[in-house]
Amino acid sequence: MSEIIILLISAILVNNFVLVQFLGLCPFMGSSNKIETAIGMSAATTFVLTLASMVSYLVYQYLLLPLNVSWLRTIAFIVVIAALVNFTEILMLKTSPLLHKVLGIFLPLITTNCAVLGVALLNINAGNNFIESTFYGFGAALGFSLVLVLFAALREKMLLADIPAPFKGSAIAMITAGLMSLAFMGFTGLV
Amino acid sequence: MIAFLSPLLVLLVLAILSGALLGYAAQKFKVPPNRLVDRINTLLPQTQCAQCGYPGCKPYAAAIAAGAAINLCPPGGDATIIELAKLLDTAVLPLKLTGTEDKQPEPALSKKVARIREDECIGCTFCIQACPVDAIAGAAQQMHTVISKECTGCELCIAPCPVDCIDLLTLPQTTAKAMPAKSLSEQACIRCGLCVEVCPVNLLPQQLFWFAQGKAYDKAKQHRLMDCIECGLCHAVCPSHIPLVQYYQVAKSHIHEQDAAFQLAQYTKARFDNRELRLAEEEALAEQRRQQRAKLAAAKSRQEDLIHNALQRARAKQKPLRDTP
Repeated sequence: MSEIIILLISAILVNNFVLVQFLGLCPFMGSSNKIETAIGMSAATTFVLTLASMVSYLVYQYLLLPLNVSWLRTIAFIVVIAALVNFTEILMLKTSPLLHKVLGIFLPLITTNCAVLGVALLNINAGNNFIESTFYGFGAALGFSLVLVLFAALREKMLLADIPAPFKGSAIAMITAGLMSLAFMGFTGLV
Repeated sequence: MIAFLSPLLVLLVLAILSGALLGYAAQKFKVPPNRLVDRINTLLPQTQCAQCGYPGCKPYAAAIAAGAAINLCPPGGDATIIELAKLLDTAVLPLKLTGTEDKQPEPALSKKVARIREDECIGCTFCIQACPVDAIAGAAQQMHTVISKECTGCELCIAPCPVDCIDLLTLPQTTAKAMPAKSLSEQACIRCGLCVEVCPVNLLPQQLFWFAQGKAYDKAKQHRLMDCIECGLCHAVCPSHIPLVQYYQVAKSHIHEQDAAFQLAQYTKARFDNRELRLAEEEALAEQRRQQRAKLAAAKSRQEDLIHNALQRARAKQKPLRDTP
């Protein structure tokens, strides 16, 4: 149990996927204009990430390894992730068409969110078992969600602030992301 | 051989599995007809003027949901485009007039109404039939007039008028207040929180100030800007001399204007719906009468046939009698 907790803390804070490992920056910048959008994106990514790390573990262990084609893992994982993202999209169109419209292109872009592929590959490199893989994926997704929602809240505040003209828009967002990244360096050595 | 085939096999299996999953999901979670259309429809001004190139507001809403441009609605103007852009999270575009290139784009938010030059009106009722919201009163051979409160300025009555006696007037500009120029004594907010302590209705004046300044009116409304009694205490205690109440007044006037436009759209939509309903009822009644007349005519012709046949038979009987000498 304690290993699981340590794994989660490591994935959420110490090795945060966005701010420490710099994976999944596209949705981090792209869908953080509004808190509502950010929460929707977080939910979708959490769903996909957790499921993808589970399924890719199973595919690797029971399909790729027995047939001795582990070098095929990258392309196999991408197929799995693409299928899961499409599944999520269909599900979201049914349950929340408005969120589907708001997320727009960023929803299919979860396919190319390198955090999703990154988790699947890191799981194999670290030799995690099924439970550990699941929780590592879930932790990574929680870390992504945490940072995305925090960043969206900051950007909402920034929209009202009196920012010098050259820094308006993406420029100040990039600087803020850098500062957040510096702050997350403080978690180094926690686990 | 196996070494060559196995990668292909693996990918094939994966592709088939994921394809099956997606196919199943597409069947199981089939989407009902778009609910987004209704939300877009409520944002449109409901003038039903068809200036966008679609037959009415609902069809245009459906077209927007399917990806049409959001800047085709002249009666809605910039306010509608901004609302639509907010809903759909797209960029705000300048208003585009379709098919009417000769027209000058009107300034934002200017409302137009039609007016009939009453001494020239010949009472032909063509404009009454064209009006989508029943805003023209009058009868055949009687002078017509436009009920300005209900007119949406859709211009649909102008083309049918045979004597060109309908003008389009532009109403005076919006009532929303503009922010007065900054006074020299006004400094930046230092977030001291004094205004929060003095507010008699327990609002967050500082927060409201940020929202009013950033034009985040829905946020300001969420933070109960409308409860502000404009007592001026926050202004009085502010060490930076920010005229907070002025900011609130401007924000409030904008919110009032947005609300009024929305209510007008709802009212117009109700009128349009009523008209559609009435026209459908009238058409149904007319159809009923037509059928009744057809039935009567059929019965009458059957009777006439019977009489005719009887006459023929009678004549046929009489003929031989007459032929005999």
